[in-house]
Amino acid sequence: MEFEAVIGLEIHVELNCATKLFCDCPNNPGDDPNINTCPVCLWYPGTAPRLSGAALEKAALLCLGLNAELQPKSAFDQKVYYYPDLPKGYQLSQAHLPLARGGWVDITDEDGSPKRLRIHHIHMEEDVAKLVHEMEGRTPISLVDFNRAGVPLVEIVTEPDFRTPHHAMEFLKALRTQVRYVGSSECSMENGTMRADANISIRPKGDDRMNTKVEVKNMNSVRHVGDAIAYELSRQSAVVRAGESVVLHTRLWDPDKKVTLPMRQKFEGPCVPDPCVPVIELSPEEVETLRARLPEMPAVRAERFVRQYGLSPEEATYLSSDPETAGYFEELIRAGAQNRAAMHWLTTQLLPALRERRQDLSRTPVTPERLAALLEMLTKDEINANAARDVLSCMFDSSDAPQDIVKAKGLGQVSDTGALESMIDQVLSVQASAVADFKNGQGKALGFLIGQIMQASGGKANPKVIRALLTQRLSL
Amino acid sequence: MNNIFSYRNPSISEGADGLLAGMKIALQSSIAVAGWPMEAGSEALEGFKALEDAAVVERLKQNGAVISGLTHTSEFGFGINGSSGAGRAVEQKEADAEIMLDLAGEARLAAGRAGLWGFKPSWGLIPRLGVAGLIPSMEVCGILAKTPGDIRAVIKGIAGAEDRDFSQPDLDFSDDALEDLQPKKMTVGIIEESLSALSASERNAFDEEVDELTQTGFSVKFFSWPDYALCLVVHKVVGSVEASSAVGRYDSVRFGKRVPGAKNWNEMYLQSRGASFGILVKSYLMQGAYFQFERYDAYEHACRIRSRLVKDARRLETQADALVFPVQKAVPTDTSETLDGFYEQFTHTAHANITGWPAMTVPPSAAGRPGLQLVGALQADAQLIALGDYLFQKRRGGK
Repeated sequence: MEFEAVIGLEIHVELNCATKLFCDCPNNPGDDPNINTCPVCLWYPGTAPRLSGAALEKAALLCLGLNAELQPKSAFDQKVYYYPDLPKGYQLSQAHLPLARGGWVDITDEDGSPKRLRIHHIHMEEDVAKLVHEMEGRTPISLVDFNRAGVPLVEIVTEPDFRTPHHAMEFLKALRTQVRYVGSSECSMENGTMRADANISIRPKGDDRMNTKVEVKNMNSVRHVGDAIAYELSRQSAVVRAGESVVLHTRLWDPDKKVTLPMRQKFEGPCVPDPCVPVIELSPEEVETLRARLPEMPAVRAERFVRQYGLSPEEATYLSSDPETAGYFEELIRAGAQNRAAMHWLTTQLLPALRERRQDLSRTPVTPERLAALLEMLTKDEINANAARDVLSCMFDSSDAPQDIVKAKGLGQVSDTGALESMIDQVLSVQASAVADFKNGQGKALGFLIGQIMQASGGKANPKVIRALLTQRLSL
Repeated sequence: MNNIFSYRNPSISEGADGLLAGMKIALQSSIAVAGWPMEAGSEALEGFKALEDAAVVERLKQNGAVISGLTHTSEFGFGINGSSGAGRAVEQKEADAEIMLDLAGEARLAAGRAGLWGFKPSWGLIPRLGVAGLIPSMEVCGILAKTPGDIRAVIKGIAGAEDRDFSQPDLDFSDDALEDLQPKKMTVGIIEESLSALSASERNAFDEEVDELTQTGFSVKFFSWPDYALCLVVHKVVGSVEASSAVGRYDSVRFGKRVPGAKNWNEMYLQSRGASFGILVKSYLMQGAYFQFERYDAYEHACRIRSRLVKDARRLETQADALVFPVQKAVPTDTSETLDGFYEQFTHTAHANITGWPAMTVPPSAAGRPGLQLVGALQADAQLIALGDYLFQKRRGGK
């Protein structure tokens, strides 16, 4: 029997607000333990939660960026459970009236066809404190760090539309791109600002029933999500083939052993409307005001890049997948760079160089204006590509204009035929065997000779001119 | 003194100038005064000292009042049992007014017992910030004083929106535009269903109190509110659910009584909470947890019924200038620590906590009578106090 998978995701995204959700403490969970706390997020007697307007705004923009419908009325509930990571015995979350319903993310399926994956709802909630388990001598101890308590989260719950690990991974990548576009979160699974849990069940292909699902947690990269789902599908298929049934429970992904392992179920209590956080009401006008603040979203931008700059769909999608890269690309063009050159130099030279230097586009000294000036010299044959690469690497450490760097380093391209002729004479006189090879029909020898002449020029010769001169000389 | 205060202001000064200059105010120990114990009558807060002044305390101090001390209170201000000293501070001239939580009618009943005027403002009129509460959607700081005038002065000093508490509605207290009260043009309403639970003698006493109103010139009209009795049921269900969550923060980790010897955190929570909470609160929490975990549907019904009752209340309050309710039934003392006993005590006051109404207890017009309770329209606190003040002046032979 052939099985098909039914997969739904629950994704937690940590909003990049300056403060926590219900107080003014800094939203920096990584700081020294328990630095970012106050009577409100420690829930001392008499304190009142104050819902952060900034968090609500970022959450709402995130919803709109995922095509979800903001609800006119949403409210917080108390998810009641007693655990040391909760200073008040309940977590504030939106269980009954979520901030938004519906929404979708479009991806490309493995066969290249477009696929729409639907979102069920999106709600806000506060994060809980972090428990750190350590040994004090031989005694196991648990420490509580409240820096994370009250950090604003958004949970995205999808429909069970996913059938393959590919769907889940592409969904997460597209979601990450869209959320970065609206500026609500970095969505880094590695840094924990995005966490995905998967609900997975299987059924005979063609069946439309929903069978018992297993929840899998603890995947901290997009690839892990794919691997964990693939593992879980083969595990469940084996269980069913062995004549047993799948049991409802939660499993943890073990990235080292590449398996999912059962975990002890954490007790889940009821959800009761919270009487202290006011109900959130959004008028149609307020929703439209928010919508007007949405940037051009990645899919729309990629289409425009194809139309406007003649990029291939792949190139356009790649550039649009990060708002800063896309923005830099357009600034480069505005500063005078040609479309192809801009695309090529940004993706093959600047981005790898930035990664090597651990810099990012927003803070690099290689501004679009400076890079455009460099590319202009290249187009005008004032320098060759080799020299341009050298100049680029200097531009990271110098604020001089690219033109000045070229002058100072003497990298200006030699196109003067007289100067080049004498270099050619010199090289041909010592490379007689290569000349002979070429004359015997070995075309490769020409490249070798050009390389020798380039070297003799200190990399400054114009390779096009050399090729022309050399071909002329050798064909005599 | 010790039968009144659990903590006395160690450095009583003259107080500053202001609206409340010269007034001495006693507070329930659920209200935070920076650096003072804030035990709210519970061992769950044993040893806890307030970090900051409650919004109410800040305003009292700004207006020149002097805080005389913290009065003995029942646990979390829930109920008025033997250990509660509510009303005694004013009765024994240790304070001009006392501020205490009114969750089901505590401030009103305590005032009645001490022969004082007791006022429960509209829900949300007084900031709750800095008050260790139990039922957020129902509780409000009540005021006990010898005269409605003193109550008005205190309300003027402490009422109004608090921008650090978003749950508080944007209400203001102002009696500047009130016209002189004319009883002959006014109607007080009586809810027929509120009288059905009274014994013959209780009914007699109530009628005698109402007679005082009619002799003053008010006309009396009877109204029917078929669901009146549901107010108490809704209070029981919704109140206990909110309470169960509200005290979830008392876990003996950061403060409060901790039972030693537990093997793990869960045992420590269970044993410490078990040892900290008193019998009445514990019963209430158990009941709330039951509705949360086992009968959520019943809780949802109660919430729905509550919104219906609130609609009823908005309609009723437009049909008379004030409503009159009996104050309480006589309750045998041996049931005061049970939930049944508790709710019997608050049979005729809990509706105001459900609906948000302002309500005021009028001391008995003569010895041996129970007094009565006046209820005004939501947010018409100033009018209700003016009505009380009129009756007060009348009794003193004025007007």
